[in-house]
Amino acid sequence: MDLRPKRYVDTVVLSPVGRIDHATSEDFKIALAPYMTRCAEGQDRVVLDFAGVEYISSVGLRVLMLASKQAKAQRGSLGIAALQPAVREIFDISRFTMVLDVFPSVREGLARLSPKALATFDAA
Amino acid sequence: MHWSERRWVRVLCGSRGRPLGIAILALLLAVEAAPELFGLGLVRLAAFDAYQRWAPRTRHSAPAVIVAIDDESLRLHGQWPWPRTWLAQLVAKVAEADPAAIGIDIVMPEADRLSPGRLPEFVPGIGQDLTQRLSRLPSNDAVLARTLQTSPVVLGVAGLEADAGPRRTVRRVPFRIVGGDPTPLVRRFEATLHSAEEIDRVVKGHGLLNVDTERGVVRRMPLVAAVGDELVPSFGIEILRVAIGEPVLTVRTGASGVEAVGVGDLFVPTERDGSVRLHFARPDPERFVSAADLLAGKVDRQLLERKLVLIGVTALGLSDYQATPAADRMSGVEIHAQLLENMFDTDLLTRPRAVGWAEAGLLLAGGLLLIVIMPRGSALASVALYALMVGAIVTAGALLYLKSGILLDAASPSLALGTLFTSMLVVTLAETERHRQALRRQVEQQREEAARLAGELEAARRIQMGSLPNPATAFPGDARLDLYALLEPAREVGGDLYDFFSLDRDRLCLLIGDVAGKGLPGSLFMAVSKALYKSAALRGVGSVDAVMREADREISRDNAEGLFVTMLAGILDASSGLLEYCNAGHEPLYLLPNGDRPLVRLADGGGPPLCVVDRFPYAASARSLARGDTICLVTDGVLDAMSPKAEAYGRARFEALLEKVGRAASAAEIGEAIRLEVSRFADGVESTDDMAILVLRWKGPSGR
Repeated sequence: MDLRPKRYVDTVVLSPVGRIDHATSEDFKIALAPYMTRCAEGQDRVVLDFAGVEYISSVGLRVLMLASKQAKAQRGSLGIAALQPAVREIFDISRFTMVLDVFPSVREGLARLSPKALATFDAA
Repeated sequence: MHWSERRWVRVLCGSRGRPLGIAILALLLAVEAAPELFGLGLVRLAAFDAYQRWAPRTRHSAPAVIVAIDDESLRLHGQWPWPRTWLAQLVAKVAEADPAAIGIDIVMPEADRLSPGRLPEFVPGIGQDLTQRLSRLPSNDAVLARTLQTSPVVLGVAGLEADAGPRRTVRRVPFRIVGGDPTPLVRRFEATLHSAEEIDRVVKGHGLLNVDTERGVVRRMPLVAAVGDELVPSFGIEILRVAIGEPVLTVRTGASGVEAVGVGDLFVPTERDGSVRLHFARPDPERFVSAADLLAGKVDRQLLERKLVLIGVTALGLSDYQATPAADRMSGVEIHAQLLENMFDTDLLTRPRAVGWAEAGLLLAGGLLLIVIMPRGSALASVALYALMVGAIVTAGALLYLKSGILLDAASPSLALGTLFTSMLVVTLAETERHRQALRRQVEQQREEAARLAGELEAARRIQMGSLPNPATAFPGDARLDLYALLEPAREVGGDLYDFFSLDRDRLCLLIGDVAGKGLPGSLFMAVSKALYKSAALRGVGSVDAVMREADREISRDNAEGLFVTMLAGILDASSGLLEYCNAGHEPLYLLPNGDRPLVRLADGGGPPLCVVDRFPYAASARSLARGDTICLVTDGVLDAMSPKAEAYGRARFEALLEKVGRAASAAEIGEAIRLEVSRFADGVESTDDMAILVLRWKGPSGR
């Protein structure tokens, strides 16, 4: 799965596309792993741009849960932004809004996680 | 065990049969090096004969003419042996024509019994007087000797294998030896049979008439042989010597044996034993002149002038006829004429040592090619390769024979390659067979494995389904409750669950959940979650939210896989209709009110799924049910069901359905309506997710 990574100073924005379900979640997990390894205090911050994600199933949510646990253990910062309404509903129902920092847009996510990255994002 | 899988076959055919191929090739090379040892000599001779039968030599020059004492001569002049005076006349007639030399292919060991002095022996009644007169006449042998003395005549002598009688001194022919002594190398006879001394001593030369037969066929003739310690020339080369007038013959030897026999400046290359391989032309009447015609003066002198004239007997019944590669019967004298033609035109056949190496090289190269290519190529390619190689070898053999009279044995390398080809074919076949057997076994194993796994999943599913309580028997005799429950697993085993049980006389607990994970791990986690939740509830922890918090801690403790489970639990007091519920990340429950009130989606309270956030403080919500109210709990297998057009069933359709059937007669009718509608919507599209449905109607405190 291509996450189309974009770097803004100390923050990496990852933009998966399509459905994250039983068929694709393993790919998503493998693609995400190297970024999560570097998502730690003093290293990278990660924003997941979900604008292109149409659907996420419980196995997809599990990947996000494991990523969130890894980030917390490494004292890193992980945010998720720009959820489509269907995905937003899944997050609401499963209360994953309580698990991850959810932002209305990538820009707002950057604003919270790294002001330096925001400056670069706005300049680009 | 299949024959191709036996140990010895596998060892022989290992590495695609190449070790076996190389072993066979080595054996074949050994056979090639010593063909006589293995009976291959016959094959080789047959191959050489085939060349000569297929393309016999063509005569270029005609140095030799045969004066044949043939059937016509015997018919005109009477039986053989003739008186030697007649033979003397015949020689004289030949000598008149001034030939280069005369060779007499007749051995006359005894004195002629037809001499005048011996006539009284077979003519009884000859008077004393006549006997005395006859005895004064010269003997026939003396007459012949006189004639022979004046002409360049060579007499034939016969080499004898066994010494038969008193040894006659061989008339010494001078030899000049170049190199080592050839005597031990050449063909050896114990003795020679000469003509009578009176005749024998007057002629200019003596030559051996013997030819060598190999398996009854004349192919070679010694140019020089040994009798005792003496070298003796062959008839043909001696005739040449006398014709040229050379006093000596030369024998040249080298490291490997006799190399050549020469006369004057003509050198004839020989085999190591001083013999030559004759290159035969077909029998040809042109070579012959009848003795009868010669005696009658009917032969043109030019026919014999400056020729090598051979006198021999060809009449049937008298002559020695031999089999040759070019003809089944050829008279001995014609064989000598053929040798003279061979030497004149220098087109004897040869078989240099290098040819033997070339044959071995062809076998080695061809064999290695077969060993390398055959295991890789198709059977057709292998056959084509073999045919191509045999074709090339036969063509090379034919070209060498035609262009330079060199004898290359094409048959034995072809036969050897054929043997190797067949062995490799069998080996390749065995290999293929074994492969097929192994494949078949593998497929069988996979099938068994799949069947076993399917069996295990089937068992797991039965256990999972068996652990679900039956709504009909869960609350026996309790008229206040009407319950429907369904779990439809997707493919083998899924992770959805439901459960319901009594906490005390009035209160009942019901829960529905969905593990984020399918297959065996999901199923096991589901069973563990369900059991832990139930045990937490039955321990009397208290309110529904306290049970949820306790279950979260216990399930998280045994979660090595990092799975999580959504859980919606409710506790209903059947005496009051108070419903307390707590939702851990699950699809909210629906309230289907009795009467005209609208459908309610109870999305409040709760928190994330179990095992997601450590020690999350789950909180409960509560709702009072009215008599006849119904609650409905589902898993996302219902809402996410897919149509053939890849459209999700969705909340809107689901809520519309509940509005429609919510006031139906029983919980089962509502539950079945949901199941049917989802199944109709999916229209055969296989579900990827489990689907669970719980419907509970409270019929009031008394159940009326």
